[in-house]
Amino acid sequence: MAYLELKNVNKSFGGVAAVHDFSLDIEKGSLVSFLGPSGCGKTTTLRMIAGFEQLDSGTILLDGNDIVPVPPNRRDIGMVFQAYALFPNMTVRENIAFGLRMKKTPKEDVEKRVDSVLDMVRLQDTGKRFPHQLSGGQQQRIALARALAVQPRVLLLDEPLSALDAEVRVVLRGEIRRIQSELAITTVYVTHDQEEALSISDKVVVMNKGLIEQVGTPEEIYRAPNTRFVATFIGTANQFPGQTSEKNKVICVNVELLTGSLKEFNAGQSVVVLVRPETIQVQVERPQQENCNIIPGVVETITFHGAVTRLGVNINGQRVVADITVANTQPVSLNQKLWLTFPPEACQVMAAEE
Amino acid sequence: MRALNKKVYPAGWQVATVGFFLFYMLVPIISTYVFSVATRWDRTILPEGYTLEFYKRAFEASYFTTTLRNSLVLSLATVLVSLLIIVPTVYWVHTRLGRAKPLLDILMILPFGIPTVVLALALVQVYNFAPLARSPFLLIGAVVVYSMPFMYRPVSNAIQAIDVHVLTEAGQSLGANVFQVLAKIIIPNILPGLLSGSLLVFATVFAEYTLTSLIVGARFKTFPLLLVEFTRINGNVAAAFSVISFTIAWLVSLLILWVGSKGQTEKVESIQAR
Repeated sequence: MAYLELKNVNKSFGGVAAVHDFSLDIEKGSLVSFLGPSGCGKTTTLRMIAGFEQLDSGTILLDGNDIVPVPPNRRDIGMVFQAYALFPNMTVRENIAFGLRMKKTPKEDVEKRVDSVLDMVRLQDTGKRFPHQLSGGQQQRIALARALAVQPRVLLLDEPLSALDAEVRVVLRGEIRRIQSELAITTVYVTHDQEEALSISDKVVVMNKGLIEQVGTPEEIYRAPNTRFVATFIGTANQFPGQTSEKNKVICVNVELLTGSLKEFNAGQSVVVLVRPETIQVQVERPQQENCNIIPGVVETITFHGAVTRLGVNINGQRVVADITVANTQPVSLNQKLWLTFPPEACQVMAAEE
Repeated sequence: MRALNKKVYPAGWQVATVGFFLFYMLVPIISTYVFSVATRWDRTILPEGYTLEFYKRAFEASYFTTTLRNSLVLSLATVLVSLLIIVPTVYWVHTRLGRAKPLLDILMILPFGIPTVVLALALVQVYNFAPLARSPFLLIGAVVVYSMPFMYRPVSNAIQAIDVHVLTEAGQSLGANVFQVLAKIIIPNILPGLLSGSLLVFATVFAEYTLTSLIVGARFKTFPLLLVEFTRINGNVAAAFSVISFTIAWLVSLLILWVGSKGQTEKVESIQAR
């Protein structure tokens, strides 16, 4: 039995479904991310776990007990907010000690505990300061320390890094993961940033319009997306709409593609073929390869991204993006004609949605 | 660069405006002070002589201590009741009932629109039964309503200035119940608002005449009642009463500010920094 279980949870606001039939098992000690665009229901779900929103129907079990009737202050669930939410009238130490005081922890234990969590977030010497005297990143570390001080059963993080600079974000997400694994605390992490979700999670729950699109490890989500939404929301994917035809071939509007097995589709069914930009290779001469997609095109855009360069290539009127690493490709120039190659395995075929 | 080095003098009209403002505000107060120590002041620009005689008579007036005590009791009780009603209401409306806020805003202007005479007579008629009828309790209830806007505005603004939703939820997730959240998180963070509201209410009620006179009259004589009584007997003594009244109101204001600022400097800063 999972530690935290959500069963058929429903929630709507003014007749609009925010979360629809949401069921999920979260294992003890794991970090699960809810990932999706804004308005997908991820924060609402998190707030229902915290107790700040009431469910319309369904149950939430924590360690086998129904927590839906329990008020938020008795759920023993810690939360970190996007806006830090440190108490401005209290020093850092007082902020961290707040939860322990509410639990009537003996004074010496409070002091020890505050020291130990300050240590954990590596901000030992900020104890006497007030929140406004700290940077955003430091404030969020303190908020994390405050949530952890009471040793909650579950830790919830609601877009904790969204208000921070890119650099601080990367450092802090590493810190969150380190602390989470050290404490082995069951954690739910809400974010709209796919890179964040993929880099720190044991499991990612991709949500869209109140529904779960896919649950899986970061690798599964990236390499084997179940739906077109997941494929396009996570990373970038070229989309080729078309119809299946004989023998692992899809006839698309502009091009014919060799794909993997099409057994699960009927002949002539409308499908979409997705190809990730990093699986496409670029050649100046027509390569002599068997059993490979080889498509001619003209370079329309070149965007330098640092580690990779992204090419926008026009093939029969459709723009396809391909990522090339500068190290193993010849220089490419605008309006140059070249050949795109990618193996059938790089093609992910899924049924076209109505 | 030359323009920057040039010393900037206020324009003539600026000096005139500020001067007129000060003149308008200060002349009545200063003349009251002077009148309270003047022997005779009707034939000359400045008084003919000075005396403390009127203060002596004011302090010796039979009702002096009683009315002073009554006024203080009335003002403090009003501040207290007002705080107890307004703070939880505003907090509740801000966290749970956002839609009611415009309604509350309008309700809080109403006391300004109802003439105090009408309010007093209506209350006297409606609450025409013991133990409320014409009692100090009814008076407190009436002045709480009458002075409510002065408490509501600063408190509402202060709550609006903090992220009351998130702070509440943060407190709850750390195990605090609603009362603990209010007492330990919300109130300390809106203290400047509470103080300025309390000050305004105290000052308003301390000088209140109409409601007191019509609702309780001589049964619970307050300082303004005594003052008005003396304007009919001796203007100089009345002026002395006015000065005493001013002084008390200012002292209490300073006291409230001092209590509030004690250890609050950091906290006020932190609120402003948000």
